[in-house]
Amino acid sequence: MFKFKKEKQHELDEFQKVSPNEMTFDSDRYGTLVVGHNAKANVDVEVVSRKKIDPNYRVGGIVDQEQRNNWKAWLYLAPVLVLMAVFLIYPLINTILISFLSNYSYVKGTFDGVTLDNFGAILGLVSINGAYETRVIDYAIPNTFILVFVTVPLSIFIALIISVLLNSIKAFQKALQTIFFLPYVTNTIAIGMVFSVIFDSQGLINYIFGLEGFAWIYAANRWVAMIPLCIYIVWSALPFKILILLSGLQGIDKQYYDAAKIDSTPKWKVLWKITVPALSPQILYLMVTSFIGAFKEYSSIVGLFGQAGTTQGSYELYTIVYYIYDNINKNTSFAAAAAVLLFAIILCFTFLQLKLSKRRVHY
Amino acid sequence: MEIKLKNLTKVFPGNPKKHIRDTVAVSSLNLDIPDGELVGLLGPSGCGKSTTLYMLSGLQIPTSGEVWFGDEEVTNLSPEKRGIGLVFQNYALYPHMTIYKNVEFPLTNLKVEVPLVVFYDFDIEYTYKMNENDGIEGIKRSIATLVNKVGISTKQAKVAITNENGDLLIKIEFHNVDEKAYDLFITNFPRIVKPLTTKEFKVQSSDALFDGSIRAQVIENVAEKDLKNVQKEILNSLGEYKKLVDEIRLYNRDNKTYLFFKIAKVKENDLALIESILKIYIKNPTLHKTQAFTYRKLNKVERNDIVHETARLVQIEEYLDRKPSQLSGGQQQRVAIARALVKKPRVLLLDEPLSNLDARLRLQTREEIRRIQKNTGVTTVFVTHDQEEAMSICDKIVVIKNGIQQQIDAPQVVYNNPKNLFVAQFLGNPPINVFKGKIVNKVIYIGDEKVYETKTDIQDQEVYVTVRPEGFIINRTKAKNAFGITGTTDMIQILGRDLSIIAKNENCLKPSFKAIIMDENDELTGKVFFGVKPNKMFIFSKDTEERIYLD
Repeated sequence: MFKFKKEKQHELDEFQKVSPNEMTFDSDRYGTLVVGHNAKANVDVEVVSRKKIDPNYRVGGIVDQEQRNNWKAWLYLAPVLVLMAVFLIYPLINTILISFLSNYSYVKGTFDGVTLDNFGAILGLVSINGAYETRVIDYAIPNTFILVFVTVPLSIFIALIISVLLNSIKAFQKALQTIFFLPYVTNTIAIGMVFSVIFDSQGLINYIFGLEGFAWIYAANRWVAMIPLCIYIVWSALPFKILILLSGLQGIDKQYYDAAKIDSTPKWKVLWKITVPALSPQILYLMVTSFIGAFKEYSSIVGLFGQAGTTQGSYELYTIVYYIYDNINKNTSFAAAAAVLLFAIILCFTFLQLKLSKRRVHY
Repeated sequence: MEIKLKNLTKVFPGNPKKHIRDTVAVSSLNLDIPDGELVGLLGPSGCGKSTTLYMLSGLQIPTSGEVWFGDEEVTNLSPEKRGIGLVFQNYALYPHMTIYKNVEFPLTNLKVEVPLVVFYDFDIEYTYKMNENDGIEGIKRSIATLVNKVGISTKQAKVAITNENGDLLIKIEFHNVDEKAYDLFITNFPRIVKPLTTKEFKVQSSDALFDGSIRAQVIENVAEKDLKNVQKEILNSLGEYKKLVDEIRLYNRDNKTYLFFKIAKVKENDLALIESILKIYIKNPTLHKTQAFTYRKLNKVERNDIVHETARLVQIEEYLDRKPSQLSGGQQQRVAIARALVKKPRVLLLDEPLSNLDARLRLQTREEIRRIQKNTGVTTVFVTHDQEEAMSICDKIVVIKNGIQQQIDAPQVVYNNPKNLFVAQFLGNPPINVFKGKIVNKVIYIGDEKVYETKTDIQDQEVYVTVRPEGFIINRTKAKNAFGITGTTDMIQILGRDLSIIAKNENCLKPSFKAIIMDENDELTGKVFFGVKPNKMFIFSKDTEERIYLD
């Protein structure tokens, strides 16, 4: 058994001074239940609450049992908390620290001092040994933003259309659902290689459209190379979105559609005025998670191009994360600074999204 | 709108592979619902009353049988074309829209007919001297509102105001406007500002258009194989009117050839020309002429007016800005009714509208439904399993059991004159008392006790004798030759002004029976004689459970 907390004498004196009114509950049921300044010094239990409550409203004679077993909850949470501390919180803090250190060596852990030059350097404001780093400003940040703002809205829109269509058919629904889900369980690099074969200058796409020799991937223009890249990202992002939207669709009350049908609502209006608002929590969830995911785009470029550009040694298709991975060993501080920059961008963006969505999302 | 159901049947197919039998939800239901009445479909759960309602709405298609709205058969018509309003059991209000938007939603899809009469272009010029209190913007807005109110769209009207030192010149141009709307505008304009001078110019911009149709015998009979060619020939002979032809069909019946011909949106004098062309094929072609219509959507001002009018009717005007989740069950219910009524349906259908409400609200809301129905005069069908609800507000009730209609009549008639044992048992709270009995020599017995002597000739047989709880007269002791049964009182409950006696009799189907009397004497213990009022007693055949009518 746990011992009940004794009311601290000085605390009691404190609120005896403050509260002028007298409230006493004397009931057979609760024994002596004493409230307010009349609470006696020998009250053997108290309500334990994290919030400091107004002593006037403090009730004696009640034990908050829920709070007593708190340590058990912490014990159960411990494995996860330890893992999170080691693999998430420590690296997070460390990364932020490293981004401010100059000449940091990750092998020895030595550094010269604290500086803001790392951020300046990656943004091309400060020279590194006489040269300027322009790849982040020229390629990594614009590419990342293009990918984010093209692929996320596009993939959500396509996923919405597909899942609404899937939901409205009866035959083959399960089979089609499986087919649409297949890319999710397929390896990204493998899909990337297949796509690079399809979009090869001698590949399937050029064969079908009679564009033999047109370069989509190798030796392609940067903007042209974006097209297969975006198609690839959208395609591989679809299955998860379809899954989420489909489960959301199945939870919508069918009577809304019956009501709409009686009011002779056209199909597009049903989609925009009823289905989409009803799906808004799912759409917001997908928006937030896939915007974050798209900001971290990296593996698709490796999968499709195998390098940071369309030709050997070019960096035209850099994304922020690609830059980070490229520089982890060479310039750890720069990589850390880029990571912090990305973190800040994502944070702002997600915050903005949640703020803007408040009026449009209906739970 | 009068509703007729003819042999309506709905079978939900089973699955022979899984040995699930077909379910007959509704079985050849015949029903006439007079115009403007409130009819309740009443029955236990799963008896097919909701299915019947959904077949009326068109959300479910009957397996066989017909549904008629007035003179129009709507059996296979899709729901949106039937002109119905449906209130769902759980209201189905769109949770993300405000009440206003919810009620407005059906109107945004609604299209109203615009008769294609003669249209004119009007130019009006008003001169007006400004007051101190006038603002040009205010005048502009008022004119725009008036234009919308009289049914002229913003696109058809051009308003220009020029201001010269307080002298306003208001120029209004209407394009393609019918005279009625224009007259309305002219008469109402002085309510905005009193013009000093008015100048009007009127030019006809388009002619009135008509639809024509004819079904007549063709002069020369056409062989079956040539029908298509002749049809083409007729079409070609129409020349430039070919485009306007809506439908043309040549067919043979009883060795004669007939032509069915429909043409849409034609000027009146063109119609005569078409008739003269058709003369080659038909003896006396007189086209059946009707005014042509086009359709338009309601504009914002019109919608706003209708929404507010409906909201006032169901008393939800003050909640229009709220979301459905911010309203109580009863208020949501009224919103659902408003949404169903807003497009002025021919028929209003209510699917267990009160089942989600608490007892007090239920009482209040059912009065409300009755009031709304009386005010609008719309034919209403109401589904419920609560007999009290049905009896209190319906003009007529239909008692249904297992998809088969048992009795249709006014509530009191059904209560006082049940057709069979099911109806007798289903209606009435507390339920009717059922006793085993027999008829011997025109005398009805429960056990050995005489209950009634009839003059009609009825065969001797085993019967069910049922007595309503209020159909007993209590006597401490049995008078000689009195009709009634003896029972042992079990319990006495005082229900406010009434007294409810629960007593035992061995011939009762249940362990005890109930009598309700207006008395305050609660010392009725032991053996008590229960006299039976003949008008509260019904006899049913034991085999068929059908009513045996006494005198």
